[in-house]
Amino acid sequence: MAEEEVKIVLFCCNWCSYAGADTAGTSRMQYPPNIRIIRVMCTGRIEPQFILKALREGADGVFIAGCHMGDCHYDAGNYKLDRRMRLVYRLLDDLGIEKGRVQHDWISASEGEKFASTMRRVSKTIQELGPSPIKDELVEGA
Amino acid sequence: MAEKAKIGTMWLGACSGCHIAVTDLHELLLDVLELAEFQFSPVLMDTKYDEIPEMDVVIIEGGIRNEENRELALKLREKAGLVVALGSCAEFGGIPGLGNLHSNDDLTTEAYLNSPSTVNPDKIIPNEGVPHLENRVRPLSEVIKVDAVLPGCPPKSEVIAEVLLALLKGEPIEIPDNNLCDVCDREKPPTGMAMDMIKRPFEIGEPDPELCLVPQGVVCMGPATRPLCGAQCPSVGTPCRGCYGPTDKVQDPGAKMISAIGSDFGVEDDKAVDPEEVANQLDDIVGTFYTFTLPAALIPFKVNKEAN
Repeated sequence: MAEEEVKIVLFCCNWCSYAGADTAGTSRMQYPPNIRIIRVMCTGRIEPQFILKALREGADGVFIAGCHMGDCHYDAGNYKLDRRMRLVYRLLDDLGIEKGRVQHDWISASEGEKFASTMRRVSKTIQELGPSPIKDELVEGA
Repeated sequence: MAEKAKIGTMWLGACSGCHIAVTDLHELLLDVLELAEFQFSPVLMDTKYDEIPEMDVVIIEGGIRNEENRELALKLREKAGLVVALGSCAEFGGIPGLGNLHSNDDLTTEAYLNSPSTVNPDKIIPNEGVPHLENRVRPLSEVIKVDAVLPGCPPKSEVIAEVLLALLKGEPIEIPDNNLCDVCDREKPPTGMAMDMIKRPFEIGEPDPELCLVPQGVVCMGPATRPLCGAQCPSVGTPCRGCYGPTDKVQDPGAKMISAIGSDFGVEDDKAVDPEEVANQLDDIVGTFYTFTLPAALIPFKVNKEAN
């Protein structure tokens, strides 16, 4: 499948990962075009509802990138996200959604290279998993 | 005297508990009967599905589990002026909705062959003359237009009377949109809802009578639930299971509560607590957080069921 055909929603925190994406961009690093970035102030703001809604509306994968542990601009938002994500992974497991469709990791403002390589890796994983069946199953008749 | 309104009740994929709540109206039933008369109610009266009368209001309990549910829901929609979805099964799919985690084959095998209370020596799974299960449980509003919803498992009788009377008199209905904690008498810790362990109610024995249940380690769905019940369960030491469903501000109460518990767990020692700990302490994520609302959740079923 062509790269453009899977859609990946990427939530970035304003202070580290979004700046990391900027670093990758200004350094002209290449990463796949099927990633759509949504900027939030802190990963602590990200609710499981955001992730589930993205999947429901047709995202084939969701990635969340925040500050490294100890670097959170608001002290500990990323710790809360980290705990929440462990619950979300188990929930998605119960709902039959493959591991790897939703992932999270920490990328700092200076890690442009890590940003680009992570995006390449995530995009590859999700292409291997293929398009998400959720949207089709939702509209499927009785 | 003006002509009385015609009302009816119906049950679809549910347990009839909501009908019990209707019959529990006691003296309030007299107020309802002054304005209306029951024309159709398969639970309470002798009725024929091919002779459904025209009605002003029909109260429907239960979600859409099988082909028959769907057919009757569509028929009733044609015959009724107003459709009220009564109870959490009609509004969100309810407890039967947890069946969305399994394939129909698994469900029928479990019900007719494997469950310990089943006696079925010939191993017969009924498939003739019974309605076929649909691929998943759906809330009533996914199949027909619903004019009013009244959640609860079951809804309190006084609330049913209030809503019914308001509808019959043509008055607006107001359903509170704050959460259960607002009306719960338990004392909330001033510093927030920190919890450092998750226990099931029987593991902590009798909870502290004054303090909020969440800091005591019990997952209480109160923060994500409508307060129509008046916090009955927490007032006797039982955690809220979320039967009245979410407030208007929340789309997916299970996800919202996962968010809350994830943040509250070990919040006082954020940087030292093992992030995996909270997930390890919860046995059944869907069963705990989506007890009543899975078919109305953002992802309302298990994906790739047949593959398992």
